[in-house]
Amino acid sequence: MPTPLPLVKGTLDVLVLKTLSWGPMHGFEITTWLEQRSGGSLEVEDSALYQALHRMEERGLLTAEWGQTDKNRKARYYRATADGTVFLKAETKQWARYAQTVSDILSARSKVTAA
Amino acid sequence: MSRDIRPGVVRLFRLALRRQRNVADEAGDEVAFHLGEREQQLMERGLSSTDARAQARRTFGDIDLARNSLITASRRREHRSVLIETTANVAQDVRFAVRSLRRSPSFLIIALACLTLGIGANVTIFALVDAVLFKPLPYQRPAELVRVWSDATVPAGIFEIVKRESTSYSALEGAEGAHQASLSNAGDPVRVMVSQTTAGLFNALGVAPAVGRGFEASANESSSPLTAVISDAFWRAHFGGDRSVVGRTVQLDGISRVIVGVMPPGFAFPADNVQFWTPATFVRNDPSYWWSTYFALVGRLKPGVTANQARAEAAIVLPRARSSFPMRMSDQWAQNVDVVELQQSVVKSTRPTMVLLYGAVGLVLLVACVNVAGLYMGRTMIRSREIAVRTALGAGRVRIMRLLLVESLIVSTLGAVLGLMFAWVALRALIVALPADTPRLAEVALGGRVLAMTLLLTIGTAAVFGLLPVLRVSRCNFATALRSDSRSGASRLATRASGMLAVAQVSLAVTLVASAGLLVKSLWQLQNVPLGFSTTNVVTSAIPLPAFPNDTVARTPRFYDAVLEQARSIPGITSVAVASSLPFGDGRQNAAMETEAHPTKPGEVVPTPQLSSVSTDYFSTLNIPLIQGRLLNDTDRETTLRVGVIDQTGARALWPDGRVLGQRIRYVWNQDWITIVGVVGDVKRDSLSSTPQPSLYLPSRQSFPRALRLVVRSSLPTQSVSASVRAAVARVDATVPVGEAVPLTRIVSGSAARQRFVALLLVAFGATALLLGAVGVYGVINASVVQRTREIGVRMALGATKQNVLRAVLKQGLTISASGVVLGLGGAFASASLLRGLLYGVDVLDLTVLSGVVVLLAIVSVGAALAPALRASRVDPLTAMRAE
Repeated sequence: MPTPLPLVKGTLDVLVLKTLSWGPMHGFEITTWLEQRSGGSLEVEDSALYQALHRMEERGLLTAEWGQTDKNRKARYYRATADGTVFLKAETKQWARYAQTVSDILSARSKVTAA
Repeated sequence: MSRDIRPGVVRLFRLALRRQRNVADEAGDEVAFHLGEREQQLMERGLSSTDARAQARRTFGDIDLARNSLITASRRREHRSVLIETTANVAQDVRFAVRSLRRSPSFLIIALACLTLGIGANVTIFALVDAVLFKPLPYQRPAELVRVWSDATVPAGIFEIVKRESTSYSALEGAEGAHQASLSNAGDPVRVMVSQTTAGLFNALGVAPAVGRGFEASANESSSPLTAVISDAFWRAHFGGDRSVVGRTVQLDGISRVIVGVMPPGFAFPADNVQFWTPATFVRNDPSYWWSTYFALVGRLKPGVTANQARAEAAIVLPRARSSFPMRMSDQWAQNVDVVELQQSVVKSTRPTMVLLYGAVGLVLLVACVNVAGLYMGRTMIRSREIAVRTALGAGRVRIMRLLLVESLIVSTLGAVLGLMFAWVALRALIVALPADTPRLAEVALGGRVLAMTLLLTIGTAAVFGLLPVLRVSRCNFATALRSDSRSGASRLATRASGMLAVAQVSLAVTLVASAGLLVKSLWQLQNVPLGFSTTNVVTSAIPLPAFPNDTVARTPRFYDAVLEQARSIPGITSVAVASSLPFGDGRQNAAMETEAHPTKPGEVVPTPQLSSVSTDYFSTLNIPLIQGRLLNDTDRETTLRVGVIDQTGARALWPDGRVLGQRIRYVWNQDWITIVGVVGDVKRDSLSSTPQPSLYLPSRQSFPRALRLVVRSSLPTQSVSASVRAAVARVDATVPVGEAVPLTRIVSGSAARQRFVALLLVAFGATALLLGAVGVYGVINASVVQRTREIGVRMALGATKQNVLRAVLKQGLTISASGVVLGLGGAFASASLLRGLLYGVDVLDLTVLSGVVVLLAIVSVGAALAPALRASRVDPLTAMRAE
């Protein structure tokens, strides 16, 4: 197993929203999903996840409701709100541009000068 | 609970929303669930349960931190959503209430009319009562100020003794009640109201002049320059608000005084009408030090000293000071000295009147509330099906009650706004109608305290009329209401309840009407009290002393002789006289006297007859009859035997054995005897309701020189008498400002001004309450006739005649008012103690008044029940039974 990557600040919210775009999930499902998708290369501390969930709930990006798991246990299910979806889209675009820019710079081979 | 009902329905029917859950438990549950799942996962991967648990906790991070921040976040969220929900709910309740009120405009109009009257009248009277009774006096720390010996005034000599010997006060000062003086400077002479004061009065009250300065500490010494301070109102009216007035010299009653200051607006002491304050001059070796100026004493209590302690001290200091008088004083002098808060002493005599009015107007509001409650209850009953549907769908009772209360609050707020407008108009009218001697009238206004009171009234009335039906709704069985139609079942209860409300209304109205009736009757009695003198065609006006700085004694009689002579020559004037005091007028003077036949023994009460110095024609001008002996005549002069005429009451009191003529009487401090030469009829002197007091008339030529009033009998109109008297006086001395001529009838009727004012208001209140009550009775009877249409139809089909039905309905109305009358008369009797001071010649259980009230109420209730009764008697049995 490779050493897990530390999370870049501010990305957790987007990752959670992306996770929830597949449908309502409880906190453990979100962690599991993130672990699986990243192949274990992202380190998400559970405590931080829950704080992020509640913070986002307060901001109106998520709503939560108590429900039953398939094993008949009581769990709190989160769902992205319309605001959340919009936020995810915007952030994804931003992130992609950012990543592109950073990786372009880092992979530059020659010094380009303005003619 | 409401999971299966769509949110829209929940909102539409005001159903209960989710209850708040235990936030801490939820956060704990969520964390525990996560740990459990993780443990499970790890165990599936082959870890032992202990290892799995340990690793689960490790990967989670700081559990407590997470849990706590979850709790805080949830709490915040919860609070916000509750707030949002409540605001949304209230806004929705308001929208809903407005919509449903707009659907029933007649309810709204009647309710608003009732509330406007009720709240408006209350606000008006509160503004009055507050200004007169409760608002703190406009002095510095008014709670410390006391009135020493509240029903008496003391001469300068006594003031100085009390000031020297008392330890309770940080300041003790005095002011004389205002007297008239003539201000002559440049231009026409003006009559002004002057109060002589002690030097430190303004300091004691803690009010400094707005312009200039107050009096110096030595102002009362005869060596001090003569100064004056003027009122703000007089400054503006007479000097145009010119600040350079300070330092100007004016002539007050012929004496030059320098104006040193102007008091701030609103300063009024001891009476509202004072325009000039002048320091009294104390000449300690002169007899006038003991009798000329009488001060009302005002003290500022030292910190920690109570009025009671001050009273205990005053009760020792004042009686001890009695022996300092150079003349013999009555042994009773200063026997009951009190010290009361200044505020109390200011409003003393007005208090019962104000309390009475406030009570009465409170009753009017109650009747109005009951009326609106009745209307509202009727409305709620009509809506009971609607409410039942809401409840069946799960709306909480709290929710429904809140909805109804929001509705009543809206109605009462509208009522309050209209009521304030009503009060604004009514106050203006009232201030004009109030007796002019009402204290602090100038301070009446719709201020912050009044607005606060209005707010309180608004909430209060909303609670009263809104809660009554709500309580019933909350007790109502909704299942029954839902099944039955809107007319039976619950509405029978409602009928009984509104019947009781109507009884309450009628009884409140009866209380008011009976009180008003008693007052009106006593006013009527007062109009017919024999005065002992004739007021028709008699006009009087004040003529101050002319400004003679010296030798007043010699000149004054000559001045008045000349005035009388000039006035007699005016065509149309049949009789003229001057007098030091007139019935119902100011200038009253009493003196301690003793008779030759019955010298007063030590310990006995000294007789203190009322003295009037009058000119010869006084008795014929006022038509006061001679009973015995002779009247005063022109031969009674300074040099002849000192004589006097006594009235019948005085004759009986001073010479009980009946031999009066030729008896002698004298002042206790003077050796000269006055011989009684005649007895005249009793005259009402102070007020219509006063009991007669001994009166002694002395010839103006033989008594103290003082400002006199002119009395004129003439067939001319008052205006022209006034003009000719002015002209006549001006021919004698143009510097003397003659007072306005006033018909004696007006002065006499003015003495009953307070009774008349209270009676007027009570009659208005009574009529309002009666009207509201009649509306209430009408409403109840009408509702019951509508409800019983079917029953009436059946009865008529079974042979009941129209008369039977008519009588039955009228009887229902009469039953309500009969119960109301019984209760209301009880209320009137209970409130009679407040009325007693205003009643004259009427018993609280006056048969004429009481039977009048009963008859009036019978007429009103028959009137209120007549329309519904006629409608009932016209019911067509077939239609009535087929309906429903």
